[in-house]
Amino acid sequence: MLKNYFKIAIAVLKRRKFFTFISLFGISFTLTILIVLTAFLDHLINPQYPDTKRGRSLYLNTTTRIHTKHQSYSNGPMSFYFLNKYVHSMKTPEKVAIASIFLPTNTYVNNKKMVIDMKYTNAEFWDVQEFEFLEGRPYTAQEIANRDHVAVITEETKREYFGEETAAGKYIEADNVKYRVTGVVKSVPITLLFSYGNMYVPYTLSKTEIGNTGIGGSYTAIILARSKADMSKIQEEYQQVIARVPLPDNEYDKLLSYVDPYLTSFTRTLFGKDESSGVGTFILIISIFALFFMLLPTLNLININISRIMERSSEIGVRKAFGASSRTLVYQFIIENIILTLIGGILGVVFSAIIIAIINNSQMLPHLYLTINFTVLAWALLACLVFGLFSGVYPAWRMSRLQVVTALKAQ
Amino acid sequence: MLKHLFKLIWNKKKQHFVLMLEILVSFLVIFAVFTLVVYYYQNYRKPMNFDYERVWAVQFRIEERPTTYDSMYLFFGTLQNQLKSMPEVEAVSFTSNNIPFAMSSTQNNVNYEGLHIQQVNDYTAEDDYDNVLGLSLQSGRWFSKEDAGAKYRPVVINHFLKERLFGSGEAVGKLLDKGSERPLKIVGVINDIKEHGDYQSVESAIYRRADTSSYHWMEELLIRVKPGANVAFEGRLYKALASHLKSAMIEIEHLTDKRRARNNMTLVPMIIMMIVAGFLVINVALGLFGVLWYNINRRKSEIGLRRAVGATGQSISRQLVSEALVLSTIALLVGCFFAVQFPLLNVFDMPASVYLIAIGLSVLFIYALVVVCALYPGKQAAAIYPAVALHED
Repeated sequence: MLKNYFKIAIAVLKRRKFFTFISLFGISFTLTILIVLTAFLDHLINPQYPDTKRGRSLYLNTTTRIHTKHQSYSNGPMSFYFLNKYVHSMKTPEKVAIASIFLPTNTYVNNKKMVIDMKYTNAEFWDVQEFEFLEGRPYTAQEIANRDHVAVITEETKREYFGEETAAGKYIEADNVKYRVTGVVKSVPITLLFSYGNMYVPYTLSKTEIGNTGIGGSYTAIILARSKADMSKIQEEYQQVIARVPLPDNEYDKLLSYVDPYLTSFTRTLFGKDESSGVGTFILIISIFALFFMLLPTLNLININISRIMERSSEIGVRKAFGASSRTLVYQFIIENIILTLIGGILGVVFSAIIIAIINNSQMLPHLYLTINFTVLAWALLACLVFGLFSGVYPAWRMSRLQVVTALKAQ
Repeated sequence: MLKHLFKLIWNKKKQHFVLMLEILVSFLVIFAVFTLVVYYYQNYRKPMNFDYERVWAVQFRIEERPTTYDSMYLFFGTLQNQLKSMPEVEAVSFTSNNIPFAMSSTQNNVNYEGLHIQQVNDYTAEDDYDNVLGLSLQSGRWFSKEDAGAKYRPVVINHFLKERLFGSGEAVGKLLDKGSERPLKIVGVINDIKEHGDYQSVESAIYRRADTSSYHWMEELLIRVKPGANVAFEGRLYKALASHLKSAMIEIEHLTDKRRARNNMTLVPMIIMMIVAGFLVINVALGLFGVLWYNINRRKSEIGLRRAVGATGQSISRQLVSEALVLSTIALLVGCFFAVQFPLLNVFDMPASVYLIAIGLSVLFIYALVVVCALYPGKQAAAIYPAVALHED
């Protein structure tokens, strides 16, 4: 039966090539745009080099201090002092990576200006983040404690500063200070805020954090749990820790801070309100956008499908006259439509693969490599089915209500 | 004629319902795009009113500063003199973080005689700030040394804020924030500048004169350099700054680069949106074309009959195009009903003119689209021979 429907569908597609072209154009381009967007979201949300342990990591990027009476509030990354004293001393986590947000600074080599985004880290940063070392090694806890001027640089920084020669063991000057390069790592795109930097140096060398014993600063933390099961325990422990933090200045009387899984740590900053994490809002916004975006192509497809069906009224009339029930006809038509959308879907995947290859090659965002993986494909398939179903149901219903007499007469 | 067309369409309302819905949704999408385009274009046409070409911004993130007022003044004064003595430097001013094209902003409230204006951009700057950025004064003067130790803190406001506070009246000499700890005295009004980039709207702005307490937190420096200042000089400037600001992280940026980055932040989403909208329009146009074409093929006998009783080919094609236009008019009326709510309810705080122009443009656009899509099918219909068409039936 299905094979039969398939044959009919192909025959119908071949008959009116212009309509087929319009339908396929609409479906494939809608899917192309949706797939490219999904690939980008997938890149943002799912584990990426070097942040591969996202499955059992919790993130802390901002805290909020509120004065309930004045309604004033302050929001931002934390000081190293705060993270070290309250987060690093927690019992449940396996490791706590503390790193500053990236701070740009200049250096001038051979009359050329270079902007270097520096990141100050502790030693555990190198255990939590799985960087690929092309040369040398990370700096050690001992070197950090000694306040040695050591640095890990990225491949790109190495190429710009040293050219093609090896860099490990050589000196790089940034911010008017000379650092000994201990290692070179593969570059990271700027979209990975917790990992991105061009040059990593020990936190003990930070000039701006000396003596900062407040809560606010420029550091964030990644907390690695021993297992997935430990994550909720860490969250609970953190809330207990936060409740005990003294608020030094009279400006604020309430401290809000959460350790969250990766996506939640961002949605909370963007959409979160009070206790809610904002993930729901985020998913709602994305879904509304996708639905609205698919609305026009769907309407278009419905329109074309109606025309198509009316064209086939003679066929429908004959089949009805020979006893086919309305339901059979509706099924047939919906299946035909899904076959059409699936063909459009395959084209869409091909187009998006081309566009993603172009984006990756053009390096619009340096070191960003998007991929179409199974998650993205699954979403595309789902979109295809929804698309086919939505645009097939109304015309099919219209068709099934066609009277045999009218249908036959139309010929 | 028009009434007749309406009747024709009304008789087939079920068949046309989806088509009209499609035109309605396309109109709303196009309206959204045009609103943004018109808004940005109106902003783009306004003059920048300041000169960023040869201005460099230095950010120094500093934690250890001198503690007393005097030593602080000395610390920053020495640096300033050292910079001014460099032959490539024209003017220097320390400022708050909200320099032109920066992402950070500081906003405050301004009070005058019961008027309470919120979200006024608040800048702190020095006496040479107007020379660094090439600001032009509308009335009054920029602050200077003579303002030191004045009873009221001197401020300069922009034209936009002046209009909101005083209308066409005089602003110079008036006192703001009366009754507060330290009232402000307006000494000058500058022409509006677009410091958020070419496509941003003008906002209220107030410039306060930096005093000793400001040096506790200021970490931004604007430098106007002479023509010909190159990377070699930038390297020297960096060394000079680094040797003076020992505990700071320093970054030098050029305002021209910052302007490009800021403009891109507006343009890139805009371009992506236009590509997406363009794709939707092509999609709709193809669909419209296909459906109209198909409908005409089905109405061959009707058209043949009309030709037989004497209608010219031209009038047939005109009838079909007008039918499509009537169809879109119904959809557009509904669309305009929704679109008009934006200026009426003052959504998104844009000027009403932007919405009205956008509505006009979108209506024209949809009509043009429909006409283009109906022309070819109409021409085909005109070419139908009555004999052939009637024979087919």
